Amino acid sequence: MSANIHDIHDQHHHTPSGLMRWITTTNHKDIGSLYLWFSLVMFFIGGFMALIIRAELFEPGLQLVIPGFFNQMTTMHALIMIFGAVMPAFVGLANWQIPIMIGAPDMALPRLNNWSFWILPFAFTMLLSTLFFDSGGPAAGWTLYPPLSLQGGNSMPFVILSIHLLGISSILGAINVIATILNMRAPGMTLMKMPIFIWTWLITAFLLIAAMPVLAGAITMLLTDRFFGTSFFTASGGGDPVMFQHIFWFFGHPEVYILILPAFGIVSTIIPAFSRKKLFGYDSMVYATASIALLSFIVWAHHMFTVGMPLAGEIFFMLTTMLIAVPTGVKVFNWVATMWKGSMTFETPMLFALAFIILFTIGGFSGLMLAMTPADFQYHDTYFVVAHFHYVLVPGAVFAIIAAVYYWLPKWTGKMYSESLGKLHFWLTTVFVNVTFFPMHFVGLAGMPRRIPDYPVQFADFNAIASVGAFGFGLSQILFVYILYNTLKKDVTADDKVWDGAEGLEWTLSSPPPYHSFEKAPRVE
Amino acid sequence: MTNLKKTYLSISIIVIFMFSFSYMLVPLYDIFCEITGLNGKTNQEKIVGINEVNTDRFVTVKFTSTVAGSEPFNFNPMENEMIVEVGKIYTTSYILTNNTNSLKQITASPSVVPGRDAEYFKKIECFCFTQQQINGKETKELPLQFVIDEDLPLNTKTLILSYTMFNTTDQLGAK
Repeated sequence: MSANIHDIHDQHHHTPSGLMRWITTTNHKDIGSLYLWFSLVMFFIGGFMALIIRAELFEPGLQLVIPGFFNQMTTMHALIMIFGAVMPAFVGLANWQIPIMIGAPDMALPRLNNWSFWILPFAFTMLLSTLFFDSGGPAAGWTLYPPLSLQGGNSMPFVILSIHLLGISSILGAINVIATILNMRAPGMTLMKMPIFIWTWLITAFLLIAAMPVLAGAITMLLTDRFFGTSFFTASGGGDPVMFQHIFWFFGHPEVYILILPAFGIVSTIIPAFSRKKLFGYDSMVYATASIALLSFIVWAHHMFTVGMPLAGEIFFMLTTMLIAVPTGVKVFNWVATMWKGSMTFETPMLFALAFIILFTIGGFSGLMLAMTPADFQYHDTYFVVAHFHYVLVPGAVFAIIAAVYYWLPKWTGKMYSESLGKLHFWLTTVFVNVTFFPMHFVGLAGMPRRIPDYPVQFADFNAIASVGAFGFGLSQILFVYILYNTLKKDVTADDKVWDGAEGLEWTLSSPPPYHSFEKAPRVE
Repeated sequence: MTNLKKTYLSISIIVIFMFSFSYMLVPLYDIFCEITGLNGKTNQEKIVGINEVNTDRFVTVKFTSTVAGSEPFNFNPMENEMIVEVGKIYTTSYILTNNTNSLKQITASPSVVPGRDAEYFKKIECFCFTQQQINGKETKELPLQFVIDEDLPLNTKTLILSYTMFNTTDQLGAK
């Protein structure tokens, strides 16, 4: 046995070093780190685009950019934040955490894992290169609605091909996650004993393999409409542009849960750890996640209440959408019940998780308002929608990712981050996120449309506040990079069990964990 | 390892199925629109061998037209409104003028309001079935022959037939 272990350790000396180590790596931790670093870079690129948007909107009138470029910025900001920042960050967390949380040595398909990451830099190079075209990048919004997207410049085929690549990457990642979770759990770890983060990722992976191919189909139809004379969406050939919206949102609504379910898993892991109690209602959490996932496939048309649906359709989609509030409510109440009478402490990951619960719930409530068909006719395509989805995505998904990084960083690196800098980062981020997005509710309710570079003067004050908040939020994230740098250059080692209230197999490993996480599968009682 | 292979295989099948499903949504969408009459989709095929019936029931049919984009055409119905007897065959036409100096090709898509009654608006002869070619500065009369089905719901008093005309000259060279 000891000779065996020696052999395995021996192999490490043969792994390439330097750049080739990262290009050829099949190790789940290396790939997880690559995903997370990549997502951080994309978060800053997408954030920079957001700041161009907010700078232009700081005051009425056209100051900095021409409207065409403004539209390219709104489109690219969305594509990069969704496909480049949030999704790769969650896949990175899955890569790092799934093997060490279920007691496996690595992911089930290491080579596929390498490939699914290395598709991403190529896809985004192609996507970003369109900004340097004479005709500019995509400007029809990330939803790529025809006929506008069919009338765009030369960027269109590049955008579609890069989204295809991103889809392939996500599908491969999801296949890997499902194969690992279903086949490589430690003996004794039944499905209902899995950590809740693993459960949410398993369900997310199923959403990915069901939804991403539909997006691939929809954009392939766009491509053939533009270049091969088909008329799926061209009215002159008997096609229907509204059909694109149906197919797109059939993918799009499961997609928004792909962006939030792993966040639920992270918060459900962090809240019990710092409340020093078990997660309240584990079983109901699992069932709530599964029912949110199933419901996500029958609510898509609430994104398009104003296209002229029959009354029966509008009522159906309104009611099913409101139904989603029930399992989501179960989750929020379970988090609150977990904290009830717990011995709570407020380290940085806990602060981000708490802010998540409060601010995500605000985003959920504005979602409920948008779900009401008659009200939505007023809110549709206004800044109220922008406020809603930024509340669920920034203090929702992004806060959960940041919380997860603070929570597991000592485990990954073996080094403790600076708690006081972490708290400073939390307070700056939380204050500015609200300064940025809360005023958008008001201008939206007052009727300011989305995706416009100029606006009437009555919206000036709230827009100026939002712009100040956006710059504050963006600059606060530089502190996050400094905290990461500061942690990595330390040489103080963290304990194996970093948080005294944390539970799970990952805390039985050393910090940082060994190269092949669990060479001998642990037994779960 | 057979378990792993089973997992890959079943997931790959789901992926392939969902990709095909996105294409299946296209005919499904058409069928759904036809059943519910959404979009005012009318029957795109010629009705042949229809028998006229006397119903003594009269409804108003209004005609409208739109030119998609800003194409150099004039496209208008000959009559804006007709009072027709349900079950009888009527003929009217649309007038199309090409304001340019060159040969153009057009096509027109019909739509009926209210959508749920679209299936009762039956076309015997319609220029919407084919691509039309028109010379520069030419004015053409495009005939339309229709019958309102006797099964038209009793509470329907007015039907609106709308044509949207598209310039498809770029397909002319392709042929």
